Amino acid sequence: MTIRKSRSTDIARRSALKSVAATGLAVAGGMSLAPTARAAPTLSIWTGYPELVPYYKAVAADFAKTKPGVEVNVLSSSLREMEQKLSAAIPTGTGPDIFDIGSGISLKFIEAGLLDANPADVDGYLKGGAWNKFTVDWFSLKGKTYGLPIIEGRAAMYWNRAMFKEAGIAGPPTTYGELMAAAKKITKIDATGKMTRSGVSMRLSGQGSGITEKFRFVLEPAGGSLLVQMPSGKWSNGFDNDAGRKALQFYVDVVQKDKVDDPKVPHDAAAFANGQAAMLFREAWVIGEIKKTNPSLDYGVAPIPRWDASGPYKGIVQPWGVYVNGKSKEKATCWDFLKFLTQPANALKITEMTGWGSARNGVDWSPLLKQTPQFEVFVNPPKDVIPFADPIIGPFDEIQSRIADRLPGLFVDPSLNNNPAKVADAIKQLATIADNILKQAGMYGTS
Amino acid sequence: MIARLADASRSWLHENFTRDNWRLLLFCYVALAPVLLLFGYVRAWPILKSFVLSFYKWELINPVRPFIGWLNYEMLLEDENFHLALKNTAVYSISTVMLSTLLALPLAIFLARKSRFSAIYQTLYFLPVITPMVPMSIAWKWIYDYNHGILNYLLSLVGLPSVAWLTDPDIALWALIIMGVWKMLGYSMILLLVGIRNIPSTYVEAAAIDGASGWRQFRFVTLPLLKPILLYVFVTSTINAFNVFTQVYVMTLGSQSAPGQAVRVIVFDIYQNAFQYFRMGYASAEAVMLTLIVLGFTLIQFRIARDKAGQDG
Repeated sequence: MTIRKSRSTDIARRSALKSVAATGLAVAGGMSLAPTARAAPTLSIWTGYPELVPYYKAVAADFAKTKPGVEVNVLSSSLREMEQKLSAAIPTGTGPDIFDIGSGISLKFIEAGLLDANPADVDGYLKGGAWNKFTVDWFSLKGKTYGLPIIEGRAAMYWNRAMFKEAGIAGPPTTYGELMAAAKKITKIDATGKMTRSGVSMRLSGQGSGITEKFRFVLEPAGGSLLVQMPSGKWSNGFDNDAGRKALQFYVDVVQKDKVDDPKVPHDAAAFANGQAAMLFREAWVIGEIKKTNPSLDYGVAPIPRWDASGPYKGIVQPWGVYVNGKSKEKATCWDFLKFLTQPANALKITEMTGWGSARNGVDWSPLLKQTPQFEVFVNPPKDVIPFADPIIGPFDEIQSRIADRLPGLFVDPSLNNNPAKVADAIKQLATIADNILKQAGMYGTS
Repeated sequence: MIARLADASRSWLHENFTRDNWRLLLFCYVALAPVLLLFGYVRAWPILKSFVLSFYKWELINPVRPFIGWLNYEMLLEDENFHLALKNTAVYSISTVMLSTLLALPLAIFLARKSRFSAIYQTLYFLPVITPMVPMSIAWKWIYDYNHGILNYLLSLVGLPSVAWLTDPDIALWALIIMGVWKMLGYSMILLLVGIRNIPSTYVEAAAIDGASGWRQFRFVTLPLLKPILLYVFVTSTINAFNVFTQVYVMTLGSQSAPGQAVRVIVFDIYQNAFQYFRMGYASAEAVMLTLIVLGFTLIQFRIARDKAGQDG
């Protein structure tokens, strides 16, 4: 009796175990054999431009209509912080699926093998006429393309119509000589000798590569370049020459001789928007800033002046790319999203929402220009403006920053006032800094 | 000989470490282990790693990190930015430490007296120490503003001309020093106050009975007895001052700010090399140099204090 009971209990236990095992196998088998019901992916985007966050979200909402369930998370921080975050996260495989960044960092990722070349369809899309050759070349390296252009920084000259009218000047200056003459008429100094309104707001103080970038707005029209590439493919400074000396002399004159700007007075977009500066060289986003802070400001936007009437107009162009992380698990969806993101309708949207321009061809800008004609110079730049861009080489940011360390001191150095020899000496020192950094990187050459 | 030594150590261990003692010792180490491991991981290991990295050329993103020996240190010797940063940091540190201590000492003596408002004053002077640096740096940027800053407004009240505190390359570093003194004053003052209050009153009373004046009481009683605290204040303030960074970073941001070169300090230079140019090996070499400099200053301060103590003794 006991034995039988025991046997039956054993059998029952064995049966139960068998049933559990069979169920387990069936479930496991079913799980592996059943068609995959994969959850829609969530894409992460990191941007160094916080003003792009609403734009990314708006486009993501439209994208989700074509790809149901796809979600997009956007993280933003200041540009410098984002460069640091990405530089630490991408190599360690902890970065986002998608990120936007400048060429200085993206080049390092490409060289380190952390970014894949564009897939064939994306490569075809980039080269298929949606962007001009200048922009396509910017995203090409050794015959392959990487990423897609999202925004394009172009600088132009903002000028205050009311102040020009008050000074009896008909229109914006077209040469740097005219600019200085206009600035002298417009600048206001109070009884104590304090400048209360600057004729032109130059970048004179602080730190960072932006100081040198703005210096190039004068250097390039004067006929120089920060760096020039030699036939051997090596690089050298391109400003230890007459153009470099003219550009530095211009800045020294602005501050010391003609006194049309002063490091002590308010500067940049805020100063222009508040009517404390008559002219400013800046990108399209300032239009948005003016709309927010002083919408009644009467102003125009014109190309940055030529050095003289016989010289060319030069305008900086800085394409900004959006890339897919080489370690992303959702690459296909990411590329679909980037192609969607760069459609003409979204190119218009980015300018409308953020003020940043787009290099995309085939965009109907008329609704935007009807509302804000000041965008004209940025979205349809005059044909006679020759674009120039940052060289796509690793040490470029360091060269700009190291020169920027020195420039503010030179602008206010009294020994440079009316002293061409000292100006030439200062330019030579700056050129040596640039060349030494190139030498350290093994990129220096003069032939 | 060795056998005798072994016997002696065995008997010493037997006498001093009973089973219970061993258990207690083991318990202490086991209890401390998590904290020690964490400390080692987050403090000691990075320092060691920085030292090792300083011998490599590492550009953060680039996976190739060649060993380059002393090259980073050799480049530092020729780097004008590093020399300037070293000079600026030295000027900042010496000025800030000296000024804050010189101001803190009379304040501490004054507040050591029993007064109804002493606690309020102590709190007021200590507030800057606990206030976060970033918002304070922004506030100081406003204070220093050439056109609308309160400092220039106060100068105008007494008929003095406005000063370009931040944008004048010759003055910008002094603007930072003023802010540094403001930040450090409360810290030094509180420590010195505690030191003064801990001096037994019998010494001062004895000096008074011997006819010593207030100044002589301070010079020959209070000051010598305060020496260990002063040394501590000097050492910790110097270490803090050499690590100045946040205010420099904030005050050089934007177009209306201090020229970067005028206020370049070592940590700012390390930051720029490491996180802007991604030259991690080079920045590590700078960090090692900073550690050695601070260590050197600290040892010198200890030596001076010890020699003085020897002479006084």
